[in-house]
Amino acid sequence: MKQIALFLVFCLACALGLSAGAGDGLNPAKLLQPPTDSWPTYNGDYSGRRFSTLTKINDANIKSLSLAWVYSINSASDPFGGVLKATPLVVNGIMYFTVPDKVWAIDARTGREIWNYTWTSKGGIHLGNRGVGIYENWLYFETPDCHLVSLNINDGTKRWSKQVCDLDQMYYASVAPVVIKNHVIVGVSGDDLDIPGYLESRDPETGDLQWRWMTVPKPGEPGSETWPNAEAMEHGGGMTWVPSTYDPELNMLFVGTGNPQPVIAGKGREGSNLFTESIVALDVNTGKLVWHFQPSPHDTHDWDAVQTPVLIDGEIDGQPRKLVAQASRNGWFFVLDRKTGKNYTSSEFVKTNWAKGVDAKGQPIPNPAKEPQTDGALVSPNQGGAVNWPPPSFSPQTGLFYVNATRAFSIYYIFDEDEKPEGWGGNDQGGWAESMLQALDYKTGKIKWSHKWESSGVRSGVLSTAGNLVFTGDPADNLVALNAATGQPLWHANLGTAVSNGPITYELDGLQYLVVGAGDRLFAFVMNSN
Amino acid sequence: MKQLAIWILVQAAMGSAALYAQGQHSAAQLPDAPGRDTVKKICATCHPAEIVLGRGMSREQWGGVVSNMIGRGAKGSEEEFAQVVDYLAKNLPPSAAGAATARPARKGGGLLAQAGASDKQVVDEVAANRGKTTYIANCITCHGPKGRGTDQGADLVRSLVVLSDRYGDKIGPFLLKGHPMQSGAQSAGLTHAQIVDLSHFLHQKVEDTLRTGPYNKVLNVLTGDPKAGEAYFNGAGKCSTCHSPTGDLAGIGKKYEPPVLQLKTVFPQTVAFGHRASAGTKKPVTVAVTLPSGETVTGVLIEMDDFNVSLRDASGQYRSFKRTPEVKVEKNDPYEAHVALLDQYTDKDIHDVVAYLETLK
Repeated sequence: MKQIALFLVFCLACALGLSAGAGDGLNPAKLLQPPTDSWPTYNGDYSGRRFSTLTKINDANIKSLSLAWVYSINSASDPFGGVLKATPLVVNGIMYFTVPDKVWAIDARTGREIWNYTWTSKGGIHLGNRGVGIYENWLYFETPDCHLVSLNINDGTKRWSKQVCDLDQMYYASVAPVVIKNHVIVGVSGDDLDIPGYLESRDPETGDLQWRWMTVPKPGEPGSETWPNAEAMEHGGGMTWVPSTYDPELNMLFVGTGNPQPVIAGKGREGSNLFTESIVALDVNTGKLVWHFQPSPHDTHDWDAVQTPVLIDGEIDGQPRKLVAQASRNGWFFVLDRKTGKNYTSSEFVKTNWAKGVDAKGQPIPNPAKEPQTDGALVSPNQGGAVNWPPPSFSPQTGLFYVNATRAFSIYYIFDEDEKPEGWGGNDQGGWAESMLQALDYKTGKIKWSHKWESSGVRSGVLSTAGNLVFTGDPADNLVALNAATGQPLWHANLGTAVSNGPITYELDGLQYLVVGAGDRLFAFVMNSN
Repeated sequence: MKQLAIWILVQAAMGSAALYAQGQHSAAQLPDAPGRDTVKKICATCHPAEIVLGRGMSREQWGGVVSNMIGRGAKGSEEEFAQVVDYLAKNLPPSAAGAATARPARKGGGLLAQAGASDKQVVDEVAANRGKTTYIANCITCHGPKGRGTDQGADLVRSLVVLSDRYGDKIGPFLLKGHPMQSGAQSAGLTHAQIVDLSHFLHQKVEDTLRTGPYNKVLNVLTGDPKAGEAYFNGAGKCSTCHSPTGDLAGIGKKYEPPVLQLKTVFPQTVAFGHRASAGTKKPVTVAVTLPSGETVTGVLIEMDDFNVSLRDASGQYRSFKRTPEVKVEKNDPYEAHVALLDQYTDKDIHDVVAYLETLK
């Protein structure tokens, strides 16, 4: 009933064309439109494309881009030397972002701090935090010590906090919650002990649990046939640490799931280990599984398939199709039908050496010889992957999928030869890498252009715009703008630290801004000339 | 139980105080070396930085200590903590005696050691050893040598009772309710001290299982055929084009442990002594920049991106250039042949070559 009531309010707001002014919170209708004067959810909109229709910054005037402001999180009252991996949200001219245990609200025009909030931590890995979700006047973020916290967006005061995972089992949380209708979608992290992954939906008002989808099935459930026994399933991993995407028409949530556990030594979990390492479609109302596709069956390389499932409304063989695409950590690019999960394209976006080909469903077939070995196996990509969590981008204007990629080698070892290994049971060592920005034709998976960076080690997200531009970071600490159609670098600024998140853009007072995080600073650029 | 926990905290504090007093007594100063100011800045927020004096540990062990401190609230950037670990590892290395008695450290340290609650049990190794005796006498038959369970008994490393336990406060009540023991004795008869010791032992088994634990090491890479390796060295691998078993590689088998030798063989450009390459041990990439005037400047590459290139020339002069279509840049990577091999090697080739290099004593 409450859902219906909310829906009615929501429709009324749409019908009346109500636009939210400052202080009115986030009008949920914003989340269904391409972002222009806001960046209201992790990927800008639900599609995960990170494409902006704004054109005031474009390939013709990019050289006139100016610095607008810099915000350093070390200047806040409680210094915390975190790295800005969060994608900031912009709502009603105010920007919200995080590092583990900390949230800031700053003026998106000036970078002036409005408030900041510090959570008193009881532990957990402070590896990174990917940001906040917003629903009306409320903000949501997750903490390393397993809490979902709701704050008032106007003053940063806490409304409530809810425990979403168990620290003693060495879970932690880093993902940005995604708000869909009256659901706050919450994921978990933790790769230390062998624990089950899951995704939750929580009530935006109370934080109460609405549903929980377990990545790994229970005995007898579909997918359980891909595990040897109940114990392996109970400890099978599959974390949900990158924000999901959503198709309002299908009412489906698209989720990438993490690696199975034990992470490296897979002896005790023979089988493909569903639904770890998978792209899954869930009904957002119930959390029920609709379909799945598995990029890395029986993964033993820590290649989480959590990378953003990007929604593309495109054409395959001349027919209009609703598609979902992922450039996966294992080096493969997949294009699927997002209604059914049917595979259209499976291709390498960097050369790899671990798969023997693809099966009838289009899923790569792992070569057992390239599983970790006691005496070592030379594998490409390495554990860091051909891409990690930094978000890719898709431009409907060019039809290209952009991913900041790495081609890397390392040697994978088994450390634990036990019949039932636990924990990691192995790891990779050594390494060599090269990095490049790849532009893939979504229809074929073919590389349209590749821009190789002069050095390696890049972990920067990507933004594409209707100004025929792609923005990302290179390994030499530059923020770079490239021609979206050709890959020609057009502009750069050396930020002194590598771009550490996904860039965003928004327009306020007729001016288009570009904001990017690099280390502990946010840099805002603006186009003053038109 | 709470009292016990407080007692342990006090003991720990006294230990620290004693060390502190030692440092004060000798009026010792932190060695003057790069990173000292960072160590002082970060550590001195809570305790005198000199508390570290008189200790000697490996890089991995210091990493464990620093990560523990981060868990206790030490503030700094990742870079600063890296500097602290680097300073401690270089200036306070393990003494011969210390190294012999030290338990294998939690590798990697840093963020990974933050896993779990910040009030998680701090394993007392001595107590864990006592607990091991109790475990062997009463538990090992059903729960197995590593605590991972058997057909007769549960996996204790994955047990929620153990994971939520602090100094026996959960396993104590569990055992006192009565639980079969292999000695035939009553579990309710275990003393409080025995339960605490057992708790330390079980938490030690959990820590051992983590990726930072002592099981995480390469077991054996010498599985190849040295003869086949020699043939690859002189044949398909073309190693002998640049290397010689009696020249640059003479005695290489003596110089490195086999796992390091394997990594150095495959990744010589990034792997120096151990896991972290130290600057200066690898051959530099050089670059030749030809300017529109026709002048060519060569030197060791400092940095290159799409827009600029910088180098240090033979005279030691730093030079940097804007890259334009008129400026030609040629990079020379001395490890190019090794990069090409990454796409050619089979794993057998690698193991054979390593087995061959190992014979070069």
